Amino acid sequence: MSAYGYDAVVIGGGVSGIMASLTLASGGFKTALVSRGDPVCCLSTGCIDVFSHSDEPLSGIRALLPDHPYSLVGEKGIKDALSFFLEIMAEAGLPYEGDPGRNRKILTPIGSTKNTCLVPRTMAHADMPPGEYLHVISFQGIKDFFPSYITSRQRNSTYSVYDAGVPTTLGIAARFDDASFLDAFITWLRGLEIPHDRVALPAVLGTIDPASVMEKISRAIGRKVFEIPTLPPSVPGLRLFRALKRVLQSRGVHLYWGKGVTSVECQGRTVEAVTLATTGRAKRVQGKAFVLATGSFVSGGLFAGRDSVRETVFDLPVAVPGERKDWFNTDFFSGAHGIERAGVRVDGSFRPVETDLDNLFACGSILAECEIMSLQCGHGLAVATGVAAAKSCAQGLS
Amino acid sequence: MVVTFFHDMFHEESGYMIKTDVVIIGGGATGCGIARDLALRGVHHYLVEKGDFANGATGACHGLLHSGARYAVTDPEAARECIGENAILRRIARKCVETTGGLFVRLPGDSKRYRDTFLSNCEEAGISTEVLSASRALDLVPELNPSIEEAVVVPDCSIDPFRLCMLNAFTSRHKGGGILIHHKVIDIVRERGRCTGVKVLDRFTSQIKEIRAKIIINATGAWGDTLARMGGSDAPMTLSKGSLIISNHRLTNMVINRLRPPSDGDIIVPNEAVCLAGTTSIPVDDPDAVEVDPREVDLVATQAEQMLPRFGTTRLIRAYTGVRPLLKAEASDSRSISRGFKIIDHKNGMFSILGGKLSTYRLMAEKTVDAVVKEFGIKAHCKTADIPLDGQDELSGYPLSKRLKGIDNIVCECELVDRAQVENAINSLGIQYIGDIQHRTRLGMGPCQGGFCTYRALGIMQETGRLTPDESIEILKHFLQRRFRGIRPALWGDQLREEQLVESIYLGILNMGQRA
Repeated sequence: MSAYGYDAVVIGGGVSGIMASLTLASGGFKTALVSRGDPVCCLSTGCIDVFSHSDEPLSGIRALLPDHPYSLVGEKGIKDALSFFLEIMAEAGLPYEGDPGRNRKILTPIGSTKNTCLVPRTMAHADMPPGEYLHVISFQGIKDFFPSYITSRQRNSTYSVYDAGVPTTLGIAARFDDASFLDAFITWLRGLEIPHDRVALPAVLGTIDPASVMEKISRAIGRKVFEIPTLPPSVPGLRLFRALKRVLQSRGVHLYWGKGVTSVECQGRTVEAVTLATTGRAKRVQGKAFVLATGSFVSGGLFAGRDSVRETVFDLPVAVPGERKDWFNTDFFSGAHGIERAGVRVDGSFRPVETDLDNLFACGSILAECEIMSLQCGHGLAVATGVAAAKSCAQGLS
Repeated sequence: MVVTFFHDMFHEESGYMIKTDVVIIGGGATGCGIARDLALRGVHHYLVEKGDFANGATGACHGLLHSGARYAVTDPEAARECIGENAILRRIARKCVETTGGLFVRLPGDSKRYRDTFLSNCEEAGISTEVLSASRALDLVPELNPSIEEAVVVPDCSIDPFRLCMLNAFTSRHKGGGILIHHKVIDIVRERGRCTGVKVLDRFTSQIKEIRAKIIINATGAWGDTLARMGGSDAPMTLSKGSLIISNHRLTNMVINRLRPPSDGDIIVPNEAVCLAGTTSIPVDDPDAVEVDPREVDLVATQAEQMLPRFGTTRLIRAYTGVRPLLKAEASDSRSISRGFKIIDHKNGMFSILGGKLSTYRLMAEKTVDAVVKEFGIKAHCKTADIPLDGQDELSGYPLSKRLKGIDNIVCECELVDRAQVENAINSLGIQYIGDIQHRTRLGMGPCQGGFCTYRALGIMQETGRLTPDESIEILKHFLQRRFRGIRPALWGDQLREEQLVESIYLGILNMGQRA
């Protein structure tokens, strides 16, 4: 078995794990990030929902119960973490915009709007003042995007369809990376002589540098342009993940990608190492401290059996509300299912409670009480707790 | 493209007043069987159904064509009826029946004396049996619990209830009968105490139509008493809820029964790519207000696991429940009530057919129509046992190779339904309900249970102009709510993961949730 030693080992390659790794790396710690595979943020809108239930996310958070993970981070911690995120994304070449003090709106594929906090620049113009006219561009054969849903709900809106030669969002986005395709598209678009104030497209404006693609289109037609996030597989989610991964690499975080943890070694109150499944020899990754960011059920950090919930790496105690019959209420649309509160409880320094491990920290959607779906706070919680847990971990290290 | 030839069944009837000889209420197996029987005896009729075909117990059963062995000990008469009908249906409904064969497995601790009675009663009822050693049974079904004592082979089969209804209705329509699905009876017209017609509400156009008839047949299963009361009489029944679960895999190619007295969780039936396991038996009052309790899911899963251990680890994609319309009896335990049937002549122009089971639907139809033609004073013998169901030649069956051929732009990834099939269902069948597309193409029947493809199918429906965008979103909401009801009792493991992903799409990306 080969062995590798680090100051900190982060387990889980989603938004919270990546933000924790970057925080540790910028504190000068030798950091490794272990991930079983690409994270579920690739399925998301790519936007950072901080708390979408009220127009002002921070004041909404103030009303949350004290055991919500946001309350452990505190308002200043949340703001600092979001600023750090904005800084990282600018560095990654995928600029995000937004203000933690005030939510903004994006347009959904069914023509409704949705509150979110930080958005990729390509969605910045989605928050339209009332009375403006919108023209939607769709693509021939595209799955899961039906422009008539939008035009029926948005007054003064119309749509046109472009044939990109491929029907999938990822396929079309790859075409937009190509300058000659973009030129042909722009020529077609100019020919439409759109009189509307703004032009919206499903989020397919390239996989690498969508802000430049958008600006080029916008300049050519003299209209504001924005993207509408689509159903999975989602291009903005994938862009977000890829951009974060680029920064990890440039900031010297050591990546173990596509490798799950098969066993953990503890000595007394200390986690010493994790062993990774690889195709060749098993790898033993040692660390002075560990951060658990393996996510909730969809990501596989938690697994629900018929009667109980298990944490899948350290077998930590999991807080579960009631019996299985209490996990889900009967209304699909209410959210607020009991199971959303299941997870690992942590203390003020993000150490899991009811265990005797001193050098283990947890962050992201694996935390108990986070209610991500009903509060609509997914990536915001990941950013805030990822940074906060890493800071606490860094304190322990120094 | 499985069912294109049914299209004229959905055409609008013109005018508000229709005259016929017999109106059948109920589009389950019994109602459709009666329609076919009447058609073959040359009696003009209309069938009205408030939902799609197989809307009630027919569509919510385990899809088992009984050999009768299950009833051999407790209800010998039902057993004899079953084996007789089993042979007939294998002959006349080849494309609906999969001749899987069945096993009754005896686990350690199950009574050997019961097994002896079982074998001798099967023989008396005319049900063929063959006793197999555990190792020979495991050769046939490798996933069986290896510690079984022995197994008995019986001629159980798997049957497709929905297809069975469609084919029966097809003959009726072919011979000039009227079939009106999504038409709910809102009133029974009475003149001097006699039932002379029904008023139905077309659920799509909200139009009310009146159908006048000499005889009304109440084949509404669990709703039998409600309809009989609308006609001024009653039809007392005992209603018993039976819940089932569906596994993501076909774990057995044979029907697996537990060799012990009838009890909860004693059967597993393979059906297409999945297995159904059931059932429970709980008395209920209102057939419209039944839900699966998570405890029923655990009970059935635990029992099924004893026969097929992999049932404990396989993913369950849904649970559902149906209401058995049983004949009223003194017995308090709904399992000991006869599965037999009874025809009531209400002496007011209405006949009710009560009780029975899917396996004997044809016999029930025959006896009902016998009573009706006697009332009309005509002599016409039942032919339904001799003539194979019409329309079977055109059915493709389910071979995967046929489904993959020429498939393009897939809408439902789980069941490989493409856009052309969905558009065909919408355009040529004139389908107006998302559930109808699902029944006819298998769209949404796989592991995600329509979580991804229903949004797509509705998007296509509104693009064709069949629905407005707003209507289609409303239907999507109803669908998601109904779907969730089926999934909720069996949410753990991978199915829970998938459900949270589906939630993140509708409540997250599309923001369809209700604000707290």
